[in-house]
Amino acid sequence: GRELGMLDSLLSLGGLVLLWDSVEWEGRSLLKALVKKSALCGEQVHILGCEVSEEEFREGFDSDINNRLVYHDFFRDPLNWSKTEEALPGGPLGALRAICKRTDPGPVTIALDSLSWLLLHLPCTTLCQALHAVSHQDSCPGDSSPVGKVSVLGLLHEELHGPGPVGALSSLAQTEVTLGGTKGQASAHILCRRPRQRPTDQTQWFSILPDFSLDLQEGPSVESQPCSDPHIPPVDPTTHLTFNLHLSKKEREARDSLILPFQFSSEKQQALLRPRPGQATSHIFYEPDAYDDLDQEDPDDDLDI
Amino acid sequence: MAAVASCGSGAGSTGSAVATASKSNVTSFQRRGPRASGTNDSGPRLVSIAGTRPSVRNGQLLVSTGLPALDQLLGGGLAIGTVLLIEEDKYNIYSPLLFKCFLAEGIVNGHTLLVASAKEDPANILQELPAPLLDDNSKKEFDEDVYNHKTPESNIKMKIAWRYQLLPKMEIGPVSSRFGHYYDASKRIPQELIEASNWHGFFLPEKISSTLKVEPCSLTPGYIKLLQFIQNIISEEGFDGSNPQKKQRNVLRIGIQNLGSPLWGDDICCAENGSNSHSLTKFLYVLRGLLRTSLSACIITMPTHLIQNKAIIARVTNLSDIVIGLESFIGSERETNPLYKDYHGLIHIRQIPRLNNLICDESDVKDLAFKLKRKLFTIED
Repeated sequence: GRELGMLDSLLSLGGLVLLWDSVEWEGRSLLKALVKKSALCGEQVHILGCEVSEEEFREGFDSDINNRLVYHDFFRDPLNWSKTEEALPGGPLGALRAICKRTDPGPVTIALDSLSWLLLHLPCTTLCQALHAVSHQDSCPGDSSPVGKVSVLGLLHEELHGPGPVGALSSLAQTEVTLGGTKGQASAHILCRRPRQRPTDQTQWFSILPDFSLDLQEGPSVESQPCSDPHIPPVDPTTHLTFNLHLSKKEREARDSLILPFQFSSEKQQALLRPRPGQATSHIFYEPDAYDDLDQEDPDDDLDI
Repeated sequence: MAAVASCGSGAGSTGSAVATASKSNVTSFQRRGPRASGTNDSGPRLVSIAGTRPSVRNGQLLVSTGLPALDQLLGGGLAIGTVLLIEEDKYNIYSPLLFKCFLAEGIVNGHTLLVASAKEDPANILQELPAPLLDDNSKKEFDEDVYNHKTPESNIKMKIAWRYQLLPKMEIGPVSSRFGHYYDASKRIPQELIEASNWHGFFLPEKISSTLKVEPCSLTPGYIKLLQFIQNIISEEGFDGSNPQKKQRNVLRIGIQNLGSPLWGDDICCAENGSNSHSLTKFLYVLRGLLRTSLSACIITMPTHLIQNKAIIARVTNLSDIVIGLESFIGSERETNPLYKDYHGLIHIRQIPRLNNLICDESDVKDLAFKLKRKLFTIED
């Protein structure tokens, strides 16, 4: 039903999904839960493991899921000192690009454990460009090879990074999930940015079961909220004024019936057209001054009438 | 009105003194004999370029930005040879619309386009341009929009100040098809218009291979490639007068999307004191030099809210000619403020150039907001 909400459909949107966790609310279990869900849906799942060992990551998954995961291990030998043939050239970014160049169609999920590790070890711009290239591979129309949708899940620890990389990655991501919670109940705040549309956000309460399946719950206060705080009432600028801005009903009627001096209404027109009693014509009263010349002749003598 | 308008400003000067007159009022007075300034073209003296007109204030040659309301705010339009910088809003929803209106205006007027982006393929950007509202349809659209817009309060006619009801509001009605068109944001531009136009695209991931070695240079390689590309187009197609154009002179409209974002290889959004902190400012300086010596106008969108070092923002503002900031209300507390309930965001005009003038042409209204109606993007105060 509708209560499943956005957390379930995170991966179906594709693109770059960032999971921001913190010290209080860890995100690796949610990452593993999402990995398990996409593996059960039959997608190809690639894991770039950089922060924890492979055994620790695979712990808790049952064997059929473990068989479906393609694990690229960068934890054991990050600088490739042992120079074995298994190590992929180019490091983690080379592995990402190799996954891009695959030829078989079908949706792919790439889980980066963790993107924080990559951000700390690689220049931010190179990482952004690689992530953009990977996650937007399917968006070109008219492409000859029908490549499936690619979802990239990146686990990020928000305390490790300054506002710069955080802002840069946020602007690239299609979905951002921020983990939080209260009183032992975890919540995920999901912000979905679709291109050319308003971003939508939702808070989903959940818990992770021991076999890493996702259990969605109604939390203590379930909200699909707009960003307004319900405790602050809408601002009304007309309160607390020293003068009265409102009119009572009688005052309003009196105001409406007032005829303004420059308003030309029909009554005024009739009054002007009707000759006023007691005054046939209008008079001009003129008192000649001492200096006035009452002579009718033209003073300049230049009119020839 | 056979005025010689020189489109230069500051130190640069254009290579061509183009005599412009709008097509509608060509006078019958023609100058006899060779002109004193001496031009390259030996053809008819009055050369006019489609889609441009001289400014009524200082004679600069202007092109439309695609939004007539914005043209009015900028004093008639965007002067040729200048850069219009748009500071993007936080979720990058409205600035692409301005960008696309600028490009669509170029297609409708038959200008050459150059689209550069690191995020999307320029061919995809062109597919998503809004469709123009042509003259016969636009009046109908306008009337129905105005009609829907009327609320009961506005029907009360003003009783005391009734003269003010006759004043036009800030939005201007449909303009003639020569300069400035209205665009319908919900429809796409017809395919044949795109195919008939001449455009060049620059998509950064194609031009730069991933294993390129970065030399210690002051400009990031993405910017260098883009500048070379722009310079090649300008000189090959003769926008700077070096290659005398046999056909009609034309204007090059350059659009650069998301400049300064990490996808261009620039780390000003990632770190406060990066290694290439002067790269963007040098790029803008060289770009302005290229623009001043050619018949081109440029629009750039930049995510300035991500730039960590505020000094860079100030330098970028000084290096551009017109700077407009968009601030959308999404996610901020202003979304619920009843003052702003009809609008989607604010427009801040941060800088207007002084081209061949002592003062710049400011509009009276500084408190501007925009809204994206179902079809049109309007700016009101």
